[in-house]
Amino acid sequence: MNIPLQSAYSFLRHTYLVTTGVSSAVHVRVKQSKATSPMKAGHRRVLSDGDGKLSPFLPPEVFQKLLIEASQNAGKKVLTPIEEASRLNQKLKAKYEARLARLTPGQANQKTSLTLSLDRQMMENLIIAKARQDALQRKVEERRLRLQEAANRRFAASGAMTAEDQEQRALYTNVLEYEQDHDWPKQWKANIKENPDASIVLGLVSYLLSCSDHPVVQLLRKHQYRVYNRLYPIVSRSHLESASLSLNSSHRTQKFLHSGELLFHFLQIRTTLFPISDQLLSLCLLSFECLNTASYRDLCLASIEEAFFTPLWSALMALFRKVHREREQAFETSMRIYCNSSPGDIGVPSKLFPNDPELLQGSYPYKAAVQELKLLVQDSCPQRKLECIVRTLRLICAYAENYRCHNESDSTPKTAAIGADDLLPILSFVALRCQCPQLVAECAALEEFIHEGYLIGEEGYCLTSMQTALVYVESLLD
Amino acid sequence: MAATGGGKTYSFKVVLLGEGCVGKTSLVLRYCENKFNDKHITTLQASFLTKKLNITGRRVNLAIWDTAGQERFHALGPIYYRDSNGAVLVYDITDMDSFQKVKNWVKELRKMLGNDICLCIVGKILLLQTRFSGGAIVVVYSYAESVGAKHYHTSAKLNKGIEEMFLDLCKRMMETAQAEERLKGNGASQSASSRRGVQIVDDEPQATPTGGCCSSG
Repeated sequence: MNIPLQSAYSFLRHTYLVTTGVSSAVHVRVKQSKATSPMKAGHRRVLSDGDGKLSPFLPPEVFQKLLIEASQNAGKKVLTPIEEASRLNQKLKAKYEARLARLTPGQANQKTSLTLSLDRQMMENLIIAKARQDALQRKVEERRLRLQEAANRRFAASGAMTAEDQEQRALYTNVLEYEQDHDWPKQWKANIKENPDASIVLGLVSYLLSCSDHPVVQLLRKHQYRVYNRLYPIVSRSHLESASLSLNSSHRTQKFLHSGELLFHFLQIRTTLFPISDQLLSLCLLSFECLNTASYRDLCLASIEEAFFTPLWSALMALFRKVHREREQAFETSMRIYCNSSPGDIGVPSKLFPNDPELLQGSYPYKAAVQELKLLVQDSCPQRKLECIVRTLRLICAYAENYRCHNESDSTPKTAAIGADDLLPILSFVALRCQCPQLVAECAALEEFIHEGYLIGEEGYCLTSMQTALVYVESLLD
Repeated sequence: MAATGGGKTYSFKVVLLGEGCVGKTSLVLRYCENKFNDKHITTLQASFLTKKLNITGRRVNLAIWDTAGQERFHALGPIYYRDSNGAVLVYDITDMDSFQKVKNWVKELRKMLGNDICLCIVGKILLLQTRFSGGAIVVVYSYAESVGAKHYHTSAKLNKGIEEMFLDLCKRMMETAQAEERLKGNGASQSASSRRGVQIVDDEPQATPTGGCCSSG
């Protein structure tokens, strides 16, 4: 049952190891924590490679590191004057030592003067660096004040300030500051002005999201860490709960997560998540006014949500699966009993599937749609999951049309196309054959986190139909 | 927000309800295919259809959601209705059971969406000669009036009444949306209505006035 989670985990871990380049980092950290607190099984399991009991979740601090290091531009750091000076001093010292080694024993007084001159030079370097750093600091502060005023002017029209407004204003100041230090935002803005085009907009947003020092990305990381930090104790605990069933009962009661408590955490995380993408979007639009049109906003939001949810999805899914456990169990029971049933048993009209088993050549009807739907759990981006559901329904319609034409080949073909009356029984059949109870939690999470703009269109229709089919499958044995 | 110019597009969601055999599918297919007989059928065939209209100079995008008529799929009916601006409820005039179903749906829709949703009750005629018995027609019309719905007779086969029915529905949905806008303009809480009801989308990319307040706030 945990296979998708584990694969997500191993993906995360792999990325982490690759990006850090230090393959033992996780293990070292884990060994230490094992030594101090052997009861932290979540950590211990990370260590127990290969015995099949991996905890799917990284501790929050590792998760955060991973997020930062996953960004491409993380490595480019500018040295401060003091750092520069101490680097220079190290070089001087190395030179001094080399010269010292070449001196003959008779040149002792020369050694003293060399030492003195080194000390003096090093001291001077540091003093100059300190002065430069202070000047720079003053300049930065002055500039920040100036930009803050610019930000204030921009927000002046909004009247009374809420705490969110104030936060937004401070973030906008950071954006202005960033733009003083970097040229690329100006270049992209000019680019878009000259050639407004969806692909350039997507290019800009993906470039922006790869710049880990941009305030939008920093805000995104901050929120991700906050959400993960909240999720981690819950999902790692609920993971333990099932693992510890074999332990004695006192352990069990200690670690048991009550359903009321779970629901409380669930609602809390939901309310935390809700305003995040709006805040990120509006900061993004403040940074790039050229994106503030209906269609570009949607593109922007989709990219932000992809970046936001992808690293969090497996932990979110663990929570949703916990909350929807009873529904998943009902689904699983139906799935087991109806796994070999024909579309007709689920109420699909006989004209919409091949009645001659020969025609299927050992396969079953709508297999392509089933295979498509199975891919859903492998992705960790909500938008792409939604696209997977849309593709599944489109495949169903295409196949239904095909089967019907085949069945009606002798009579005059009717014009009526597939409507919901036909679609839902077929979709239920496909969901049963998919053999994946996790779909229940996946769809519930999608409904929660897909931006409402999508829910009126085809995507929303497909998700709603999918959920209806899932509930129907769950109720088959009632 | 500034006074409504011609630059806005209304997006409306319309749910299609009716028992399995009453011919919802052919009705909606006829409507969406008729005038522009090209790409209006999506790859979801008759389950989900879209149509673009221009009504009194305003652009309207319709998304028509078909629902399953079978009882066994009704447990989750309400998630189909969510955020709907209109509903078309279809029954067969020769089958009063199908009319009873329509009454149940009306009750459910009103309970869930109140008066924000515009209703159309549609009696489907197969042939022109088909007639109501005198008593039934009175019942049907007075029922429709009592629940604030419009009643229509349509025939997909003869392409009769369908266009008018949808046009009238769109006009009523626009009125509701405009009333809601006015209410918002009068300082009513914006957040309450932003999630439900009409979504009004800015039109083409427009030059953002520099130095103005941020338009996303």
